[in-house]
Amino acid sequence: MAVYERTWKPYSGPLTPVRSRFLVVTRYAIADAFASRLFTAFYAICFLPSLVGLFFIYLSHNVTLLEKLGMPMDLMNALTSQFFMVLFGWQALPAFLVALIVSPSLISADLANGALPLYLGRPIDRPDYVLGKAAVLAILLSPMTWVMGLTIFGLQAYLEGGSWWIDNYRIALAYLVGHLTWIVVISMLTLAISAWVRFKPAARGALFGIIFILAGFGTAVNGVTRTSWGDLFNLVRSINSVVLSLFGAPTPSGLPVVFNWLTLITVTLLSIGLLNRKLRAHEVIT
Amino acid sequence: MIEHQTTSPPAIELDGLSVSLGGRPILTDLRASLKGRAIGLLGPNGAGKTTLLRTMLGFYRPFIGDVNVLGLSLRGEAKQLRANVGYMPENDAFVAGMTAIHFVRLMAELSGLPPEPALERSHEALFYVGLGEARYRKVGTFSTGMKQMVKLAQALVHGPTLLMLDEPTNGLDPPARKRMLDLIRDIRDRGETHLLVSSHLLRDVESVCDEVIILKQGLIAATCDLEAERRANRSFVEIELQSPEPAFAEALTELGCELAVQDTTRLKLVMPGDRSVRDLYTAAERLGVGIRHLDIKRDSLQDIFLRAMEVNHGSV
Repeated sequence: MAVYERTWKPYSGPLTPVRSRFLVVTRYAIADAFASRLFTAFYAICFLPSLVGLFFIYLSHNVTLLEKLGMPMDLMNALTSQFFMVLFGWQALPAFLVALIVSPSLISADLANGALPLYLGRPIDRPDYVLGKAAVLAILLSPMTWVMGLTIFGLQAYLEGGSWWIDNYRIALAYLVGHLTWIVVISMLTLAISAWVRFKPAARGALFGIIFILAGFGTAVNGVTRTSWGDLFNLVRSINSVVLSLFGAPTPSGLPVVFNWLTLITVTLLSIGLLNRKLRAHEVIT
Repeated sequence: MIEHQTTSPPAIELDGLSVSLGGRPILTDLRASLKGRAIGLLGPNGAGKTTLLRTMLGFYRPFIGDVNVLGLSLRGEAKQLRANVGYMPENDAFVAGMTAIHFVRLMAELSGLPPEPALERSHEALFYVGLGEARYRKVGTFSTGMKQMVKLAQALVHGPTLLMLDEPTNGLDPPARKRMLDLIRDIRDRGETHLLVSSHLLRDVESVCDEVIILKQGLIAATCDLEAERRANRSFVEIELQSPEPAFAEALTELGCELAVQDTTRLKLVMPGDRSVRDLYTAAERLGVGIRHLDIKRDSLQDIFLRAMEVNHGSV
C-alpha cells in the first residue's frame, strides 16, 4: 500500500517477541541520546581512562619501548591491585557523568506530555518500561566500565601469562560486580529522579543534592556520635567500601561491608518504590 | 452496519465489572454485551466513561467482575488484549522532542511491529490522517488539531481490532472535527476494526455509532441499538397542554406511546412508528383537551440520552 493512496489497512505481518519488546524503549532512548554530536564526542572521551590503562599495560610489557622511553623495567610491579583500583575510579567517574547527562530526560520526557498511557496502553507493563529505560544506562555505561575493565584484566593476564589471572581473580570480580552494582544503583536513582523532577537541570541538581546532602548528613552523624556509622549515608563512600572489599582491601570506615551493601540495596529499593509510585498510566487520588 | 453475528464474540462484554478508586466506587456492576461495529460510550461528566476505557486497558484493576474484548479477558490476557487495541486518550499524549514519524513508529514497534513495517505503516497512518506533509515536524510544535490526528495515527498504526477513542473531537474546530468524524466513519465502514467512541457530544456519537452505552454515576443507565432505533422509525413528541389532563396521558399510553416526561401540562413521549400526530389530535379532541403546543421530531440520541438520565438504569 503506497502512502499516496491515503488509505489504511489492518496489519497481518509477523510480530516481534513480547519478552524483548522492552528493548524498543531502550533503542529509541539510545538513538535519542546519540542524536547529539556533543554527547557522542563526550561518550567517546569517557573511554580515555580505559584506553590509557590498556596502553599502560601494553607499555609495561614492552621492554623495547620502556628502554626507548627511559622508564624503569620494573614498571610491571606497579600493576598491582592498586593500579586496578585507581583505574576503577577513573572509569566510574565518567560513567556517573554519562548517567547524569542521559538520565534526566529518560522518563520525564514521557511524563511531561502524558505519553506514558500510550506506552502502557500497549502490550508492555510498567516493569518492562522501567527495564527498557534502565537498560539504556546499562548499555551505555557497561562498555566504559566493566567491559573495558575485564578487557584490561584479560590483556594483563594474557601478557603476564602463567597463573596471574588465577592469583588475581578478585580484580576481575571487583570490576564485574563493583561496576554492575554501581550501574544498578545509579540507574535506579537517576530514573527515580527523572520520574519525579521533570526539569532537566533540576534533576541533575537533585542527583548531586542527594549525594552531597546525604554525605554531609553522614559527616554530621560521624561528628556527633564520634563513630563511622554516618558513612552509611554517604552513597559514594558506600560504593567505594564495597568495591574495596571486592578488591580485598580494607574499607576506610572500618565498618563491616555488609552495612555498605545494605545502604546500596536500600537506595535501590527506595528508588524502585519511587518509580512504582510515579509511573502510573493515570493518577489515582486516594 | 451493525454486526450481530452469533458466532463471533461480542466486541465488548462487561461481566459485572466494578471499579473502585481510592476506596470510592466509580463503576458498579456493569453488565453488557456490545456487538456493534462502532459503539458510543456516553454519559455526563464524571459518569465513569474514561474510567471504563482505562479499566479495559488494564490501567485500573477491576474490584469485581471482568471485561472481555473480542473474546480476550482483562484478567489473565491483558497484554494480548492490549495488543489488539488502539487507544487514543483524551488529553495530550506525545513525546514533545520526537518528530511525528518517529513517535508513531515507536508506538508501532511497541505494539510488536518489526522496525521496517513499523516505519512503512507510520508513513501510511500519518498520510491517512492528513499529516503526511508534517510528519517530519516535532509533535510538540503541532496545533491542537494536529496533535489529535497524531494520537489517532498512533492508535491505528498497528492495525488494532478495537480502536478506543476518548473524546476524539475534543478541542477541534469545525473543519477538523468533520475530518476526524469522516476518518472514524471511514474506519468503521471498512468493517475490519471495532470502534469504541467515548464522548459527551451526542451528535458526534450519533453520526458515527450504531450502538450506544450510556453511563450515569458509574452505572449503565441505558444501552441502545441505534441502528434498530433508526429502523423502528419512532418519533419523539413534546406536547404542552392548556390545562392539566391526566386522562390524556392515559389515552396516549393506550395508543402505544411511551411517556418519558410528564408534569402538569407538559408531556414528552415516544410515539411508535405505526402512529401519527393525527391520532394524538383525535385523542385530544375526544377528551376535550386543548393543545397549546406540539413539537414532533425523529427519536434522536439526545432524547434517548435524556430519558436515560431521567430513569434509573436499564435498556432504552
